[in-house]
Amino acid sequence: MSTCSDCKSFFPREDEPGKGDCVRRVVDPRQAYYTTRPKNPEEDASGCGEFRKR
Amino acid sequence: MTAEPAKLDVSLQEHEEKQEWWWIAEKKRSKRLDYLRKAVWKKGALGGNYAPGIKVDLEGPKLFTDMWKWWKFDPIIMRRAKALAHVFDNIPIFITDHSQLVGYWGSAPHTISWRVDGASIVNEELYNEPGIMPEPEEESLRKVAEINDYWAGQTAVDKVARILDPEDAVKFLSGAIGWGAPTSAYGYSGKNYEYYLKGERGFEDIIADIEDHIAEAEEKTIGVPGPDILHIYDRIQNWEAMILVLEAAIRFAKRYARLARTMAEHLETDEKRKEELLRIAETCERVPAKAPRNLQESFQMDLLIQTMSRFEASEGAWPARPDYYHGPFYEKDVLQDKSLTEEEATDLIGEFMIRAYEVGGFGPRWAREGMQGITGTWVWTIGGVKPDGSDACNALTTAFLRTARLIRVSNPTFAFRWHPKVSDEVMRECFECIRHGLGYPSFRNDPILVANCMNWHGHPVEEARTWVHQACMSPCPTTKNGVQPFRMASATANCAKMVEYALHNGYDHVVGMQMGPQTGDARTFTDFEQLFDAWTQQMQWLLSLLVRTVNLGRYKDPEFYGRPFLSGITERAVERGIDAVSPEGERGNCWITAFTWVENADSLAAVKKLVFDDKKYTMDQLITALETNWDGYEQMRLDFVNKAPKWGNDDDYVDDIMLRCLRTMAKHSKVMRCTSNNTWPAAPQNVSGNIHYSSVVGALPNGRRLGDALYDGGISPGPGLDKKGPTAVLKSCGKIDHVADGRAFLLNQRLSPTQMAGEKGYQLWRAYMRTWADLGLDHIQFNMVSDKTLRAAQKDPEKYQEVIVRVAGYSAHFVDISRKTQDNIIQRTIQGI
Repeated sequence: MSTCSDCKSFFPREDEPGKGDCVRRVVDPRQAYYTTRPKNPEEDASGCGEFRKR
Repeated sequence: MTAEPAKLDVSLQEHEEKQEWWWIAEKKRSKRLDYLRKAVWKKGALGGNYAPGIKVDLEGPKLFTDMWKWWKFDPIIMRRAKALAHVFDNIPIFITDHSQLVGYWGSAPHTISWRVDGASIVNEELYNEPGIMPEPEEESLRKVAEINDYWAGQTAVDKVARILDPEDAVKFLSGAIGWGAPTSAYGYSGKNYEYYLKGERGFEDIIADIEDHIAEAEEKTIGVPGPDILHIYDRIQNWEAMILVLEAAIRFAKRYARLARTMAEHLETDEKRKEELLRIAETCERVPAKAPRNLQESFQMDLLIQTMSRFEASEGAWPARPDYYHGPFYEKDVLQDKSLTEEEATDLIGEFMIRAYEVGGFGPRWAREGMQGITGTWVWTIGGVKPDGSDACNALTTAFLRTARLIRVSNPTFAFRWHPKVSDEVMRECFECIRHGLGYPSFRNDPILVANCMNWHGHPVEEARTWVHQACMSPCPTTKNGVQPFRMASATANCAKMVEYALHNGYDHVVGMQMGPQTGDARTFTDFEQLFDAWTQQMQWLLSLLVRTVNLGRYKDPEFYGRPFLSGITERAVERGIDAVSPEGERGNCWITAFTWVENADSLAAVKKLVFDDKKYTMDQLITALETNWDGYEQMRLDFVNKAPKWGNDDDYVDDIMLRCLRTMAKHSKVMRCTSNNTWPAAPQNVSGNIHYSSVVGALPNGRRLGDALYDGGISPGPGLDKKGPTAVLKSCGKIDHVADGRAFLLNQRLSPTQMAGEKGYQLWRAYMRTWADLGLDHIQFNMVSDKTLRAAQKDPEKYQEVIVRVAGYSAHFVDISRKTQDNIIQRTIQGI
């Protein structure tokens, strides 16, 4: 099973072990941006459409 | 990205000759500002509908509701603090390419936020709003339905509605006499800038103060038992909620810092952009935890606080005084230390305005129709005086005005506090904005309004001089006891109903119910005094009902809603351990927004003239004609339009009636009291309520039919009815005592772009403004876009996307407002001065 920590978009938090952020690039019709949401590194990523193997 | 101009073009002169200011702006602004300005997803409703691609944000509402359910045994302020902290910690955040400032009220740039716990009727409307559900739509609808099911019956408005007098509730909810919601969930939150935005303290300092208060309070709770310590337990809860949410706010900022640092260290390849991202990281690690040290930190702190306030409540206004509070940092960075060039500072100023422009929340249809093209009234106050009375204009005042012309946003707009010491340089910058067709700044007569603040609410002069616009028009100090933590829009009166009900014995023929008191069959009135007595009773009834509702909502709000974040940035609340919305220690600064006001004076004058003085028609004929909406009485209607005196022509016949109405209302404003036992003065103005209410107000004796647009301003003459020129308009308006007759009076004027061209145009305008000031008017604002341009924009909207007009207390892009509102603006008289 792939987890979030196996993904290229996952960045562990240096000051908070066991926690991390999913950081992704989005290009919408008007602008481009990076977005982030908190992620548990052990979360099951098998259903994630944005998963990119590290 | 550098602050270089986006493009060079030799045709700037040509654009200027054609007054195509939007093309000039696009060519003169930096590449960064050009990108950021065009990157904005416009959230203001087009007419009444959201633009394609705009989606409601479901991330925040779900996070908030989940945590709200979890902490069900907590007091409401603590429960809100925990739910809000959960949103701050978990909602997706983003950083747009080329941006230097961060913070958005939603999870993605194209989303509009949704206040789930405000009102069930708004939640139901959201569920049924076409086009705004994120894909897959079916799943989103299921989520919304689940959230709505949970909140049904327990939103703030549901709770207030249960205890309102049932008759008041039905009449208020009819939508005929006023609008709004009696809860701080949708309020206009005043901000205590003197406490937190002077560069003297950050949230860590406030938390330390609160911890001291808690320690002191806890000593008392383990001391001598007695009734005087019982209230302390609640206060400790309030303080703890403030700490909890302020700490979460610091973490929220640090999430942006972490994202910026991740982007700089792992994802960005451009060295210049890496530097910018690291500066964003450093900025968000600093503020709002600690006091800002430079312009970027000062803007960022302000922006984050405004953003986070909106996660707590759907704030419909953005009271601000950006040149005054950020000016010292601009002068330090740009003029003294030279750590920023003017061009770099312009990029920050422009982005600060763009970040405000992109903010948007879901609003019910009545609000969207009433404020077409925008999502709230971000009227930013600039200019004015310092507490000691000296000129407060600074280098940032003119920098904001110059930048506004480059980015041309319709929200925020500026309102300039004019006073006799304002320099010619600043006035020229203001005039250039108007000449460029922005419709702003509006002008506020500062000495008059400082006196007004003191007269109506007893603010000491030093505090009155800190005033900012709490919404479109009404001033509010930014001090500990002077700031009004929120003002609910529900004391917004549809005043044309006063005269309508006086003529129909309190019965509303449009909604089909008895609304006002039965003041007598107007067909039997034999003199004007009987009609005026009936009008007075209807006015008193209408205003009292709205004020009762707001007072109750305000009184119960700490119990029904709770504002831990707002409390944490409000000195009075921090000091006392109370919810900021509690009136304890607040001086009071309420006002009634008086929509559709001038119809009263013109209608009463028409009846007096044609029925009671000239005896050309009888009351029986008039009431019959009104009941048929003038159908079959066209010649009679035209007599009431053309043969009765109209406001705005320096004609004492009608002007005296206007003054009598205002002064009768002012007397009642002193009878009604707010939760701080202060007065309730009226501020005649419209946003685009004159269009919204056009299908709600019945036929009137000024010749208006049901469905016709109402007059656009608070004291503006009816469109095309001011036939004696601009000085006569000013003279009529100058008969009003702008200190004692009400809180503020909105005057729209249209000027000819051709006449205002060049130095001659500026000098003409200055002379006009001197007359305005000498006559003691408190407000004026201008549209300076030609009929030709506006008509061309109606025919070819794609080509004129960036044309801005002044609608009422706000500006909007012309193409974003309804055809009816567009026509109403074109119909306004262009004054030759």
